[in-house]
Amino acid sequence: MNCEVCHLKELDVEHFEIREVLRCILHTIVFHRALGLIRPKDIDSELFDITYVQCGDAEVEKKIEEKIDQFIGWVEKHPNKKSQICLSFYEVKNKQATWFSNKIERLYWEQWYINLNVAQHPKAHSSKSHHSKMVVDPGESTLERGVRRATLEAALREVLLFQIIKFVNEKRDHIPPVPNHEGVSFPYEIALPSSSDSSFGMDMFKRMLQTGHPTMLS
Amino acid sequence: MALQNNPQSESGRIISQFLLKSLHIVLDSRIPSLRTHDHSGDLTPVSRVRKSDKWFNLALGERRAALENLNFWHRNVMDPMIIDLILVHEESTSSAVDALYATSGMDASAETVIERWIVQYESPRTMVPHLLENPASYRTYKKSIILLRSLYSTLRLLPAYRIFRQLCLSNQAHNFDLIYKVSSFSEPFSRAEEDAMKHYSFAPVEAPPGRLCISVTYRPTLSDFNLEPSALLPPQIITDYVGSPATDPLKVFSGTDKGVPSTSFTLRGTRSPSSIPFQRPHSWTSGIHRAAPFTQNHHLGGSPPAYRTSPLPSDYSTSPPDFYGHKIHGYRPPTHKKGNSVDEDPLSPPFSSSPTPSPPTYNLLQNHPRSGSAPVSIPLPMMGRNHRHLTPNFSDPNRHSLPPMSPRSTRPDLSSQESPSGSRSFRKTDMLKAGELYSGLTNLYSGQKVFKDSKDDSGRFSGLVSSSGSPKIGFSRSSSRLSFQDDLDDCDFSYPFAVDDVDTSDTQNRSLEGKGTSESNSQVLPSSRKSQDAAVGVLVHMLRTAPPLRQDHSYSFHSPKSEIEGEASASSGFFVPRRTADALAELRSYREMKNLLLSQSGTRLVNKEESKPAAFVG
Repeated sequence: MNCEVCHLKELDVEHFEIREVLRCILHTIVFHRALGLIRPKDIDSELFDITYVQCGDAEVEKKIEEKIDQFIGWVEKHPNKKSQICLSFYEVKNKQATWFSNKIERLYWEQWYINLNVAQHPKAHSSKSHHSKMVVDPGESTLERGVRRATLEAALREVLLFQIIKFVNEKRDHIPPVPNHEGVSFPYEIALPSSSDSSFGMDMFKRMLQTGHPTMLS
Repeated sequence: MALQNNPQSESGRIISQFLLKSLHIVLDSRIPSLRTHDHSGDLTPVSRVRKSDKWFNLALGERRAALENLNFWHRNVMDPMIIDLILVHEESTSSAVDALYATSGMDASAETVIERWIVQYESPRTMVPHLLENPASYRTYKKSIILLRSLYSTLRLLPAYRIFRQLCLSNQAHNFDLIYKVSSFSEPFSRAEEDAMKHYSFAPVEAPPGRLCISVTYRPTLSDFNLEPSALLPPQIITDYVGSPATDPLKVFSGTDKGVPSTSFTLRGTRSPSSIPFQRPHSWTSGIHRAAPFTQNHHLGGSPPAYRTSPLPSDYSTSPPDFYGHKIHGYRPPTHKKGNSVDEDPLSPPFSSSPTPSPPTYNLLQNHPRSGSAPVSIPLPMMGRNHRHLTPNFSDPNRHSLPPMSPRSTRPDLSSQESPSGSRSFRKTDMLKAGELYSGLTNLYSGQKVFKDSKDDSGRFSGLVSSSGSPKIGFSRSSSRLSFQDDLDDCDFSYPFAVDDVDTSDTQNRSLEGKGTSESNSQVLPSSRKSQDAAVGVLVHMLRTAPPLRQDHSYSFHSPKSEIEGEASASSGFFVPRRTADALAELRSYREMKNLLLSQSGTRLVNKEESKPAAFVG
């Protein structure tokens, strides 16, 4: 079985937009991979004029929120970096337990790379010299922000509609048999960037293995 | 063709359910009145998950009656299903035609197709009939699930979704509306329209020997239309309201009764029937055929089945489809279905084995030639319309127009003419007798009444069943039967690809169609019952004017209230034993009445009149 990889178009986001952008993208992808019985949940984005769909699984929602929190924490520690989040779907293959460990092998069959370019400087500047900026030219900054927001929204919509949905529909042969009854049917993980902090990534990986989603392991 | 000649094949069912599910998804996301209210994501309790929800593992909630009926309409899976989402909006025009139909103070309305969805099973012309292998069906089903997920998401990303959300705001009125049209063919767009629209096709799902395709042509921007919320319309008084048989039993509806309140069928009082295609086979619409009620009503009276009159008492502002008068053999009221246990298999269409063999739907419906086939009628349209605009039409005076369904519903317009003492006996009798005569009609009326009363359509037919005190014919009976059958099937889930039996929903559909003839027969009767209604009215009149059986008592002596009123003579009269002669005299008077009625109407009265004389005397 091959592993299909999708690199989503890079989005320029501000710090406070990260959460909503990631929610839109991650939930949309998971919704298309939750092939068990679900009742879809429409969510209106708080920042954008976009309605995305959640699969209705509270566990998934909680997990995604946790990951987003961690990512935001990471971004704050590593400002002005192009960051990438990887959402992966895998199959669990139980290898024969050896005397020292229970080896569980993961076979990834799909990976999504979400590329974000977080712009933090303008916000940092504005917070410091907020008062002066407002006095100088409030209208223009608001207008610029509006334009930038609209651009981001259009780009996000394009990513959601034309990239994710297109990819999900075109690549269907690699999807393994569904192991789960309801909700999110495939085990998945959300890996945060670890380019400058290798242990961080490893910690996350280990935590994934140990406290796996109850429905992951069939 | 294997898929059609063998409806029991898994792939055939998957394909037909795919079409239905995609229709459900589209309409649920575009038409406010068809929207199910549960988009919470919550699957618990399990009892709320219906059989239809389990298909493609996408629980959307209850399917409206219109969608159920469309399932029967779409008789051939080889036909494309074209769903047009039409924006009805104001357009200032100097056109004479539009100005002719425009009411004062309002612009003419225009209709623009803002989205066209095409769901189709494409197959090569030459097909080798064969049963699909189970793995192939499984793959098809799995991919269909994903495709439908994509459809669901895409519907929320397209511009029309914003309009839909605006319309869903019940606290606002709007100067626009969204209606839909489902057909198996469509007029191609003009060059200008095509240039203004974009096209998107989903990757097809292989369903050997063909494939399932969904595509959409949509307007990328709707800012050209002047869409805005408007002030709430004031309640409109219908000056030419046409009553129902309940209000005026002696009135016979004829073709000259054109008094259909136009406001009740139109969108904000504007219409342009000239621009609406009237006859369209394989087509089911909401609101687009506004001309339909005008022409339909001219054919009333006489032979047409009674349910054709149902739109008259200003029930729905969507006009019924142009083929309204056809039989409703395909109609199946949605029922409360009992909860299903969670299926053991993660990906399994809700097939189930059924002990009763049922006629295949496709074969039954394929007897009609394609080009001139009679479209299926939908007797109770419930779509494409905001219910808030129905409220002005359903003020209290109109409620009285509905015939009584239970003792608690009264007809004060009739009783007001009586003496208070006689009113209660009349009412009780009327419940027992006239209610039964009206049963064919009143099931419809009460059903509509229940529709109107509640914005939430869930359980409306249970309400119908519970409130009716008369013998149930047609809908309610079938609904109770369906719920039973559904319960039976719910207990019997098996791995779908290993079982080659009919599906429950198909079973229900087919059983209903089998009953359809009986229903249609029962529906033919109401036309003769109209004259019986008149006869009942005459009877009522005679009862009112008939001399009392006893000189010292009124008719109402059986009523507890009259006892409480404290008429000493009345109360003492209860204990005077009646003589046989009195009873015989009464019997004779009833016979005379009966003969009189027979001579007048030429129909047989219900013999219960003779069998229950005691009802009048307590």
